[in-house]
Formats: sequence, C-alpha cells, structure tokens
Amino acid sequence: MSLIIDLVLAAGLVVLAWQTLISRDLFRGLVMFVVFGLTLAMSWARLGSADLAMAEAAIGTGVTGAMLMLAYWRLRRNVPAAAEEREPGRPLLAATVGVLSALVVAAIGLASLEVLGPGGMAGHALYEALPETGVGNPITGVLIIFRNLDTLLEVAVLLAAFVGARAAIGEDSAALPLPPAQDAPLVGALVSVLVPLGLLVALYLFKAGSQDPGGAFQAGAMLAALAVVLTLAGRVRQTPQTGLWTGFALIVGTVVFTVIGVGMMALGAPLLAIPGMWAVYLIEAAMMISIGITLALLFAGSAGLGLRGRR
Amino acid sequence: MNHPEIWIMAAAAIFGISVYALIVRTHLLRQLLALKVMGNAAFLVLVVGAGTVNGLLDGIPKALVLTGIVIAISAIGFALAVLVRLAEVTGSVDLDEDPSDQEPARDTNDPRDGDGHAG
Amino acid sequence: MLAEALAGLVFLPLLVACALLVMPRRTRLPLVLLGILPLPLLMFPVTTAVLADGLQIIAVAGFERPLGIEWRVDALSLVLKWLNAVIAVLVGLYALADYHPGSGKGRRFWILWLLLISALNALFLSSDLFNLFVTLELMTLAAIGLLVIDGKPAALRAGMRYLILALLGSMLYLMGVALIYAAAGTLDLYQAGGLLADDALPIVALMLMTVGLLIKSAIFPLHAWLPAAHGNAPGPVSAVLSAVVVKASIYMIWRLWLWFAGDWSMDWALTVLGLLGAGAILYGSILACLQDRLKMMVAYSTVAQLGYLMLLFPLFGVLGFAGASYHLLAHGLAKAAMFIAAANILKGLGTDRMDRLDGTDRKLPIDTFTFAIAGISILGLPPSGGFVAKWLLLQQAWGQAGWGWVAVLLIGGLLAAIYLFRPLSRLCARPLAAPEQALKSPGKAFSLLGLLLALLALGMGFAPAPVMDLLLGGPPPGMAP
Repeated sequence: MSLIIDLVLAAGLVVLAWQTLISRDLFRGLVMFVVFGLTLAMSWARLGSADLAMAEAAIGTGVTGAMLMLAYWRLRRNVPAAAEEREPGRPLLAATVGVLSALVVAAIGLASLEVLGPGGMAGHALYEALPETGVGNPITGVLIIFRNLDTLLEVAVLLAAFVGARAAIGEDSAALPLPPAQDAPLVGALVSVLVPLGLLVALYLFKAGSQDPGGAFQAGAMLAALAVVLTLAGRVRQTPQTGLWTGFALIVGTVVFTVIGVGMMALGAPLLAIPGMWAVYLIEAAMMISIGITLALLFAGSAGLGLRGRR
Repeated sequence: MNHPEIWIMAAAAIFGISVYALIVRTHLLRQLLALKVMGNAAFLVLVVGAGTVNGLLDGIPKALVLTGIVIAISAIGFALAVLVRLAEVTGSVDLDEDPSDQEPARDTNDPRDGDGHAG
Repeated sequence: MLAEALAGLVFLPLLVACALLVMPRRTRLPLVLLGILPLPLLMFPVTTAVLADGLQIIAVAGFERPLGIEWRVDALSLVLKWLNAVIAVLVGLYALADYHPGSGKGRRFWILWLLLISALNALFLSSDLFNLFVTLELMTLAAIGLLVIDGKPAALRAGMRYLILALLGSMLYLMGVALIYAAAGTLDLYQAGGLLADDALPIVALMLMTVGLLIKSAIFPLHAWLPAAHGNAPGPVSAVLSAVVVKASIYMIWRLWLWFAGDWSMDWALTVLGLLGAGAILYGSILACLQDRLKMMVAYSTVAQLGYLMLLFPLFGVLGFAGASYHLLAHGLAKAAMFIAAANILKGLGTDRMDRLDGTDRKLPIDTFTFAIAGISILGLPPSGGFVAKWLLLQQAWGQAGWGWVAVLLIGGLLAAIYLFRPLSRLCARPLAAPEQALKSPGKAFSLLGLLLALLALGMGFAPAPVMDLLLGGPPPGMAP
C-alpha cells in the first residue's frame, strides 16, 4: 500500500515536471508548475516533513507561483509575442542534450542508490545536541542555533534580491505595473475574512516553530501571501519610495540577528552564539517580518506598499 | 520513508527533464521555471539521500532545504524584475539574437544626473 | 581578537548595508566610508594570527563540524581576503564619483556593493559546502544587481544571461552537495574529503560541482557570458567583477580539487582542467586581439587570464601554487586598474571604440599611464606582480618537463603583448585625430585611484617576499612545503 502512494506521488512529480517545462503553451506550464509544487508539498508530507510541506506550499509554490503569473501578465503587456514560445527549432542540439541529460540522470540515480546509509554524522550530532538548547523542533534548532550563519546570510540574500530588483527597475518607472483590481463586493468580503485568518495562522506558525512544525519562514510567507492578496484586491497601493517603516521591516531580521550574534562576543561567547530562548523568539519574530515584507515587495515590484488613499 | 529508491529516481528524472528543458526552451520565463524545478530535484536528493536518524528523516538537510527554498524565491523574484525590465526596454523575452555584445555602449556619460538612461 | 576581526570583515559591511536603507541622506556618505575603510585594518589581526600560527579555525556559533559551520583562514584565504579588502576600498572610493550614496541610485549601489563585499569575505572563510552555496548566491545576486544598475539594455541582457547561467551553476553545485552529504554525512569540505575515496558517487558529485563552478567562473568553453557582462557593466562594477567575483568560484574549484579531493588519484581530470585553462588562454587572447571596443578587449583579456588559474592543476607543485595564487592577486589589482582606466577613457571620450582612441594620452595622461602600467603586469613583463606569477608557473612547468604547458605560457604572453599593444599604440603614439568632441575629465582624484591599483600590481614585482613566504608556507596538502 505504502509503495503505491510513493509510486503515485513520485511518478506524478515526474509527469508534472514534464508538463511544466515541455508543454507548448507557457501559461499552461505555469499552472502545471503550481500543481507540481503542491504535489511536491504532499510528497514532503509523505516523507514525514511537515515543515517542508508548509514551506513548499507557501513559499516555493504559493508566492513563487503568484510572482511568475504576475510576471507573465507584465511580459504580455509589453511584448505581445511573449505568450507564445518559439518552436524549439534545434532538433540536433535538443537530441544531444536529451541524451546528455539522460546520462546525468542515470549517473546520479545509480550513484545515489548505492550509498543510502544510516543517516549522516551531522544528523546524529544534531539529535544529541538538541535537548540542551530547549528548542524542540530540530529544524528550528539548525536554522537559528547550530547553522545560523546560513540563515543570517540567507536573510541578506533576500535583501540583495529586493535592492537588486530595485536596481533593475530603475528610476524612471517607480514600480512595475499591476493588473487593475476587481472591485466586486465579494472581493471585499473575501479580503475581510482572509486577512485576519491569515494573520492568525502566521502568529500560530511563528509561536509553534520552536517546538512543532512551523517557524519564521512559514509565518513570513503567510504574511507575504496576505500582502499578495491585498495587493491584487487593490487594498494596498505601490509607493515610489521605501518608507521609513518599510525600510526598518526589511532590515530588522538581519540587524537583530547580527546584533545579538556579534554582541554576545563582548560577553565572551563565540561568534553568533545564541544566548537563550528569548533570543530564538526575538530572532524568529524579526525574521518573520523581514521575510514577509521582502517577498511582498518582490511580488509587487515596487519600493514600498501603502494603504490605499493615504498619501 | 520506505522506498528511498523511488524518490531518488524521480528526482533524477526531474533533474534530467530540467536540464533538457533549459537548453531546448528559449523563453526566459520557462528557463527560470526549469531552474526552479531543477533546484527541487536537488532538494529531494538532499533530504532523501541523507537517510534517517532514529527512524526520522535527518533534520539537517530539511533545514538546508528550507534555506534553499527562500534563496530560490529571492533569486526568482530578482530575475523576474530583470526580465520584465528587459522585455520593456528591448521587447524580447529570450536571449537568442544578441546584437548587444559589440554595441558601442555610451557609458555613464553624465553620472551626476543619477540616471543616465532616463528619457 | 581573530574572531572579532573576522566578524567585523563579514558583518560590518552587512550592517552598514542595512543602515543605508533607513538612514537619512546626509549620513550615508560617512556610513559608506565606515563600511569600507576599516576593512584593510581588520585584516591586520587576521594576518598576524596566520603568520604566527598558520591555519586558524573558528567554530561559528560555538558548534564544531559536523553539526556547525567552521571558518578557516589559511594562506590562500588570506590572499583573497586581502584582495577583496583592497578592491572594496580603492574601487569603492572610485565608485563614489558616479554613485554618491545620497542619491537613490547611489544608495542602491552601495547597499549591493557592501553586500557583495560581505558575501565574498564570508565565502573566503567558509569550509562548509552548503554555506559556500549561500555565500555564492548572495555574491551572485548582489553582483548582478550592480551590473544592471544603470538600466542600459546591453547590461540588462548581459545580466539576464549571467543570472540564468549562474543559477544553473548553483543548481549543479547544489546537486553535488546533496550527493556528498548522502555519502559522507557531513557538509564540512575537509571532513567529507577525508571520509570519501575516489568512488563513482563522489566523482559524479565532484564533477557536478565542478561544472557548476566552471560556468560561474567563465572558464573556456563556458565563458560566453563573461565578456558581455564585464564589458557592459559600469566601470567600478567591471573592476570588481573581473578582480574578485569570478575568482571566488575558481577559489572554490581549487578548494574542491586540491583540498577536498586532494588525495584522490585523478591525474587525467587534472590534465583536462589544465587543458581548459590552456584553451581559455589561447581563445580569450585571440578574441581580445579582435575586439574593437576597449572594455570588451579588457573583458576578453579576463577570459584569457583566468586560464592561468586553471594551469595550477597540471602544474601541481609548490611553485605552481605560489605562482597561480600570486597571479590571482596581481591580476585582480591590475585588471581593476585597467577597467578603471578604460571607464575613465570611455567617460572622457564618450566612446571606447579603438579607432577613436588616438592621442588620448594628451588629454587623459593619468588614465593612459594607468592602462600602460596595468598592461605591464597583465603582460607579465618584469618587474611586475604578473611577471613573478608567470615566472613561477614557468619554473614549475620547466621543472616537471611539461613542455606543452611551457608553450602555452609563452604563447599566452605573446598574444597578450599583441592585444595590449593595439590600444596602447592608439592611446599614445598617434596624434589626436580631430577635436570633434570636448573631452571631459573624470576628475583627477578618481584617476589616481586607478593608478594606485596599477602601482600596487607593479609593486608586487619589487617586493614579492612577504606574500610569497606566506604562500610557500601554506600550500595544499600533498604538496611538500
């Protein structure tokens, strides 16, 4: 029985990947990408990782999918031909590459199969060290305590992506275009239900993260998803400048993390040592805000977001 | 996790499809999709390949994948901004015809106005 | 002291980048200076520690491998961190001419610049395969953000291509890391290398990572993206891209092949990597000879000069290592100087087409001089850093009777002479064509920064001893010190 579920999910992933990348119609490919992502999220759940399932559904599929679809709309606005893809008119190259890819696939597949071992050294070390920290969720332990340099640099990557996108968009178009919002009454009702609900979920995910599946990433993605809904419903507008509060929200994750991690050196602690659970919560909260706002701004393609009607 | 082989083989197939698509497909949006899907194949190998500790999936690669997912969306968000801008300026959504390499670019002729290309 | 200095090198630029996003206009220039000027100072405690006790290891967050991430500083890291610090300051100051942090665009430039510097500093320290991936991504996004900052179509196109290929490289690298972790159970480069032998899986993994990194390093024949990117970027960005950014992924290839897989017997692969380098030298040099734009010529010269860094693999030995590392440093300085000079010439003349350069030396004497001095080092004429580096490589090749490599080194030098002579003869020898357009001076102080870099590259030829002692004292394992 379990074999069948594994087989169906894994085969589904392969078929959906093919549909995403090879189907002629680009929009269909985008839709298939979302289906692929949701199947991947189910696969993570099947493999026993609720954290990854949530992150994949929210960030890897949800917000990424929304970004891709919006980019597709924006491309078609400027380049009418952007919808169609040119025929892949290089059969010889395609065939060569196909064979090459197949060889890569075979090499990886065969090589990995012979190794599957009894978990890594690092994994064992993780489960030995985790109880001392007070953090129950091993993933949060790795992200905030054991390998927090990765996490800190990753928040910096988000910042680089935002500023880089600003650099690409330039001065003369303060923000990328958005589709006109549909102002049907139902949209308003939907927003008024979704937003408080979403905030609640985000808070829960943030709070649960130290012991159970969840954490800053998933909660931040939830906030970003709310911003996506609000942007598309026309409830918030793009602003040409990054306001002071938005600026603080963008950097708070990096700054709090760095200040705690480096500041503790003054007390003789190692670099980036996390002094206690209060610090874990503080860092997670700051990261949640930064991740949420950065993803929202990357989606909107603007320097800032403001409430509709306010100057 | 009862059948790691299945997941590894699926990941390998997805990886191959992505490599294939990346080279056959010219539309930049599709190429970004291919890169994203390729990354997911790597994530699968990372988590499944690591095996289990005390009956649970090794926690380290799961955390790495979480980091990887956020890095992936950062890269895609940035790439889409460049792409939309590129399409706006040049009207093309692929990189096939490339007249620009040799184009006598007028560099920052007037740096102080802050925006050499405006207008 | 060491840990504090290293933390400063990574986190000072990071924090200043963050501060720039919220601080008012007037405070940003001092902030920027605070972010870059202390970097060389912070290098001193690190340098003394390595000189005194050799390899330094710091467990970040207090957790040692395999659970945590370790930072390691040895001779090679030190050399690259010095290069990064010098470029960050000198090219950074030069960038103030075009990008004042008070303007909106200048602010974006400086945030990305500081993030780039921070990423590179973290990269040259990290001994963790996944952490290296994260630093590479940060470096790439920041670098491409800088590349497209002027919004020019050519730069956008080049940036997009660079981005796609860089991401492909990242994904291949990541797949390799996944396989290594599956096999070794640790992400520490040195630990994993010690646990694995040259079986099928580690080799496939190493190949994947190497191909990914070769794409990012623009090593022939995967170089196609580099000339357009480096040739169309703004001046200071071209300088940092050629001087440091492409070196970062080559540094990782060195780490993988000479440290991680140092005791695998894969001579055939080392030869292949060397042949790629030879191809890069010949092909890049020939194309550099054919360019009709100055910046494109300099960019193709980078393709060629990167090839020398790959010659380390067949020229495996202490002299080869010292030579290749010295080349890394000397080329970084000289090429940054050359791009600055080219940017000034482009700015001054309004064009950088070769046939319009006649007599530039009268109008832009400092920049012409900079270009010539930097050319001496690129060319490898004595007495310059480039000469010392190529001489060592030549000695190594001679010593192991690798006549083919000797030939490549000599032909590469000859071709460099040809492609550098072309613009220089235009710049200096001919009278000014026609005063068709008024020349704009880019500002003497900013030209002098380029000259300073060129003189540093030249000076490396006069006083190679300190760096050389360091390098000879810390070669990769398997090379007798």
